[in-house]
Amino acid sequence: MVRDITIGQYFPGNSVLHNADPRLKLVLSFVSIVFVFVCNNFYSLALVLAFTVVAVLSSRISLKVILKGLRPMLLLLIFTSALQLFYNKQGTELFVSRFITITTGGIFTTIFMVVRIICLVLLSSLLTYTTSPTQLTDGIERLLSPLKVFGLKNGVHTLAMMMTIALRFIPTLIDEIDKITNAQKARGANFETGGIVQRAKALLPIFIPLLVNSFRHAFELSLAMSARCYNGGEGRTRMKQLKLAARDYVLMAAEFIFVGGVIALNIIFESVI
Amino acid sequence: MSLLELKNVSYTYGAGTPFEITAIKNINLTIEKGSFVGIIGHTGSGKSTLVQHFNALLKPTEGQVLLNGEDINRSKHSAHEARFKVGLCFQYPEYQLFETTVYKDIAFGPTNMGLSEEEIKARVLEAAEFVGLTDELLNKSPFELSGGEKRRAAIAGIIAMRPEVLVLDEPTAGLDPSGRKKILSMICEYREKTDSTVIIVSHSMEDVAAIADKIIVMNKGQVYKYADVHEIFAHSGELASLGLEVPPVTNIFLKLKEMGLNIRTDIYTKDQAEKELLRYLQKEGIAW
Ligand SMILES: Nc1ncnc2c1ncn2[C@@H]1O[C@H](COP(=O)(O)OP(=O)(O)OP(=O)(O)O)[C@@H](O)[C@H]1O
Ligand SMILES: [Mg+2]
Repeated sequence: MVRDITIGQYFPGNSVLHNADPRLKLVLSFVSIVFVFVCNNFYSLALVLAFTVVAVLSSRISLKVILKGLRPMLLLLIFTSALQLFYNKQGTELFVSRFITITTGGIFTTIFMVVRIICLVLLSSLLTYTTSPTQLTDGIERLLSPLKVFGLKNGVHTLAMMMTIALRFIPTLIDEIDKITNAQKARGANFETGGIVQRAKALLPIFIPLLVNSFRHAFELSLAMSARCYNGGEGRTRMKQLKLAARDYVLMAAEFIFVGGVIALNIIFESVI
Repeated sequence: MSLLELKNVSYTYGAGTPFEITAIKNINLTIEKGSFVGIIGHTGSGKSTLVQHFNALLKPTEGQVLLNGEDINRSKHSAHEARFKVGLCFQYPEYQLFETTVYKDIAFGPTNMGLSEEEIKARVLEAAEFVGLTDELLNKSPFELSGGEKRRAAIAGIIAMRPEVLVLDEPTAGLDPSGRKKILSMICEYREKTDSTVIIVSHSMEDVAAIADKIIVMNKGQVYKYADVHEIFAHSGELASLGLEVPPVTNIFLKLKEMGLNIRTDIYTKDQAEKELLRYLQKEGIAW
């Protein structure tokens, strides 16, 4: 059951997006997400949607996985659309009855919101789908490295290291939860019946060993790190140097076209929202 | 009479995702009542996956698991019942201890069975005696015990359910030689006293060969061989070629054979080794 969570997961592959520089991917995802919210008419919205679709396709991740990642959003989407649709009073009225009025403003906002949320989720999950946790933290550390000037010498490195370790241990912990759950089930533990209190209590036999094991992992890891003379970021060099390659410039160009397109369309056509 | 029967069982982890792994394929086997079966195989050969089918923790992707002739996966209830009839003790079971005292932890299984207070107490004390935990230890926190003691406490937690079949996944992994010996002799004693069926998983053949009647050799998710111990060792050369660590004694005889001596290689205990060596020396006319 815990294995169904796909957000934040990494799917190894060999696409344009997989091979791109993680720093660039971080920046481009951020910029794209900003422009998802900048667009203000149907032409620029269509461009945003098209851009997202192209990005998804170029990751070569199976559509099944992508759709599975969107599924948790479904409820949120339905709920917020209903609210917008029935309670937004802007624009001309299209349908009026005693309880609800539907206006053009309501319909437009609903469409914008649905498309924007979907694009937001897709673009941000694409980042983690195509970037391994180590690459991701490496990218973040490099992007934040200018902060070192402000006396945060070791801070940036420590932060990145902590993130790497945390991400690294997610699968381990998921595995462990699975194992402990099975071990307690083998002793007849029942997690599926009973009221809320009973179910919460039933989780204790999983929770306590998990906590104990996490501490054990932490101690073992710190021991292993100091045994290999780890002493923070100072003077550390890297095995993999990040360098922008030709394909990264192609991605950058694509992003510029997208950004330029959204701005131009926003200027040419009238805003509807 | 057959107690546990697997028919064409296959299991695939992560079916329908990019990470599909078929861990076991097409397994057919029968475990007789009262037998003592060892399961050996290379790391990753599917031993742990296989034994989790015995108590319905894993539901076969294909095939059936029968306990006393009935499919254990026919309903949720039957699967739950199977957990008490087939007691499965996991690899590194000490990591699943959670209660405030060892006593309470051992009582977890029997409590889940819905037994009366006295019955639970009787079972816990009996199980603790089997594994050699003193009363003093029973009142300690499980986290204060030594590694070997934790392991025994965890095994006691399974024994206390009085299962018809006791399945132990790598009960000696990570223990020192004396700890290993203690656990193995404890298992033998348990079997003698209760006449129950015992299945023990290990990748050390030495441990298993000394105590089991029959051996299942797993290779790449399939049953490579299932036979009596002496029959398995009649082909000890094959086992070595599968990358299994044969007992050191067997290894000596395999090497002697390799050197050109006309000697048997189905040797797995010291007694057998002594006899065979004497026989050989006499036959070759080397004075003794
Ligand atoms: N929870 C899981 N999810 C995905 N794959 C798994 C899982 N558990 C085991 N596997 C895979 O199934 C195969 C068999 O694993 P299994 O644990 O049954 O082997 P094993 O014989 O018990 O090995 P070991 O001697 O190391 O304990 C391995 O290839 C393993 O990677
Ligand atoms: Mg195993």
